[in-house]
Amino acid sequence: MSTYITRRLIQTLVVIGLLSYMCFYLMTLMPGDPVEIMISSNPRITSEDVARLRTLYGLDQPAYVRYVNWVKDFVRGELGYSRTYRVPVSELMGPRLVNTFYLSLVAMIFSLAIAIPLGIYSGLKPGSKFDYIVNFLSFGGISMPSFWLGIVLIIIFAVNLQWLPAGGTQTVGIEGQGFWAEFFDRLKYLILPMLSLSIQQIGRFSRFTRSAMLEAMRNDFIRTAKAKGLSHQIVVWRHGFRNALIPLITIFALSISSLFSGALITETLFAYQGAGRLIYESIMANDFNVAMVSFVISVSMVLIMNLVADICYGVADPRIAYN
Amino acid sequence: MSVGEKEVYTQVEKIEADPKNPQKCTFTYEKVRWDFYQLGTFYVMPKHLEEPVFKKYGAQKEGYEKNSLYVKDPTNPGLYNGPYLVSDIQLGDHVTFVPNPKFNGEAPKIKKIIVKLIPNTGTLEANLRSGTIDLISTLGLALDQALAFDKKIQSEGLPYTVLYQPSAVYEHIDLNLENPILKDIRVRKALVTSVNREDLIKALFEGKQTAAIHSITPKDPWFTDDPNKIVLYKYSKRDAEKLLDEAGWKMGADGYRYKDGKKLSFTIMTTAGNKTRELVQVYLQNQWKQVGIEVIAKNEPARVFFGETTKKRQFDAMAMFAWVSSPENNPKSTFHSRNIASPKNGYSGQNYMGWSNKEVDAALDKLDLELKHEGRVSLIHEVLKAYTDEVPVIPLYYRSDVAVVPKKLKNYRLTGHQFPETNQVEYWTIEQ
Repeated sequence: MSTYITRRLIQTLVVIGLLSYMCFYLMTLMPGDPVEIMISSNPRITSEDVARLRTLYGLDQPAYVRYVNWVKDFVRGELGYSRTYRVPVSELMGPRLVNTFYLSLVAMIFSLAIAIPLGIYSGLKPGSKFDYIVNFLSFGGISMPSFWLGIVLIIIFAVNLQWLPAGGTQTVGIEGQGFWAEFFDRLKYLILPMLSLSIQQIGRFSRFTRSAMLEAMRNDFIRTAKAKGLSHQIVVWRHGFRNALIPLITIFALSISSLFSGALITETLFAYQGAGRLIYESIMANDFNVAMVSFVISVSMVLIMNLVADICYGVADPRIAYN
Repeated sequence: MSVGEKEVYTQVEKIEADPKNPQKCTFTYEKVRWDFYQLGTFYVMPKHLEEPVFKKYGAQKEGYEKNSLYVKDPTNPGLYNGPYLVSDIQLGDHVTFVPNPKFNGEAPKIKKIIVKLIPNTGTLEANLRSGTIDLISTLGLALDQALAFDKKIQSEGLPYTVLYQPSAVYEHIDLNLENPILKDIRVRKALVTSVNREDLIKALFEGKQTAAIHSITPKDPWFTDDPNKIVLYKYSKRDAEKLLDEAGWKMGADGYRYKDGKKLSFTIMTTAGNKTRELVQVYLQNQWKQVGIEVIAKNEPARVFFGETTKKRQFDAMAMFAWVSSPENNPKSTFHSRNIASPKNGYSGQNYMGWSNKEVDAALDKLDLELKHEGRVSLIHEVLKAYTDEVPVIPLYYRSDVAVVPKKLKNYRLTGHQFPETNQVEYWTIEQ
């Protein structure tokens, strides 16, 4: 097992290296650079100014030289400087990643807590009224555009009922008023974006759980377990659900990998200070350092969570072994 | 230093402060300039705080920018000399301002101002109506959103006012003068004559913006609408058709004009996703179709449009966008033939039309050295005469700034120039 993990980790590092260069190179191919953005609406900047700024930012060097310089800094722990916000990337990204993590985690826990029981019950009673209702709601949730849902939630809960704030991350000036005051304040701002994210996820997760459960409960060993006189609970949980776990682990691992990538539309709609919006803005504004760090985090999370999922398969199903 | 317009700073040779009178300082310029007062982003900084940082990091590449107290300690009260101090800052989210007790002017009345960033303009109205925010500044709503909200204010009796103020933003279409069809001045004149700008303003903006006649906005002291000084184009379908007929473009059976078997057709490019510009495009297409000109819209994301297409003059015929200017701004970067964007100047020029006129170049060069106001006005009117006569650009409209403020907020004024409405924030009051 340890050899397998080591090999996968080395592969992961190589993939991160290759993909990061590809991403860096693609970004250099995009039209415009930070200087272009500076001059785009300012007719007073002279050609000398443009040349001077390009040299200053090193934008006159070839892409591979700039990439090597970036890697050297990255390895030394210097994540660089955000041209848009004029602060070090670490200072900028840290709080954004934490905010995104909170939002994504809460949304995922909420979604799983609702979707898995719904999916299991639906899978156990296919064709029932309950199954039809769950299917209908799941498809509704999956099909609902998140920007539309977000606006509807804002109109109902913020404008009409005035129960929750329309947007933001926390009340300005709440810091220092005690842990619980800050905790409940954050929670208040999390509810609407979390609901907006969860409705789609619940639909997706419940569909996956239903089909995995349906598949597992059709196996011969389930019939054998029932014939042996095992209780319904043991048949469902120990034999049915455990076998349904394999596809669920894949979905769950992939969802975990996006915990730090953020949800661009939801974050933008609710003015939530997350990483998704930051990544989008950094790419649009050619803020190389921020975009590259975000990219490395996203790629690393996907690769590492896939590795974790592979390990979990072995735990869930003893027939899977890594030699 | 990573400053954009270096000239703004290097033109000043020295600054001497008078120790006896802290409100007086003397600027010495390297050359005599009439626009000495146009310092743009030149702000006074606290020497006792920033000089040590500059001495320590100034020699390093971007050292000062990264270590300035404005970056490292932005809530330091010594950094600000305006009516408000920054008391809290959350990058990308909000900035909180509190009154500056040492402000050398009228004491501000509002005890706390929070400037909040809401990236989605579609949710601004909901944020306002839910009480999350109290007003929407000029950077918030697009004009169409403001007009729609204005109607709701009237019908629902909401406690807000929508303010409109003509601004220094000039919306226009640059014509690529290298396009073989557009080289013919009669075609360019036909294009501008066949656009009913007054009707466009009424139809799309309910008259809240102003039809443009050239690049200088009405509030600028250099503005003129005198028909003896510039060429004014009144909408006339008949005149446009006459000009096109003279240029050899004859109406075909399909409603479009042809010359030597070639259809009179152009592409118009602008920033994709900008709803207002897309509406204007459709309006213009319809107007030009009426005189037999086919215009095909081809839009690109702003980044591609500005980063590649306009910069390298890769638009086939028309590029629609806006310039933001300060009053009395010499337009040499956009009009001078030296600034025609080309590989030679690293595509840094902003004369995207490729307009070249020796008299205009000479007038623009003279403008910098002319110390008399009347002389400068006369020179700029010479430039505008050529600009309106040769039609390298189709002027569309001067944009208006809009803001939504609560009725109880008094003395909130939109400036109409490059400085924001907070220019006189100390006078804002809330009527109870």
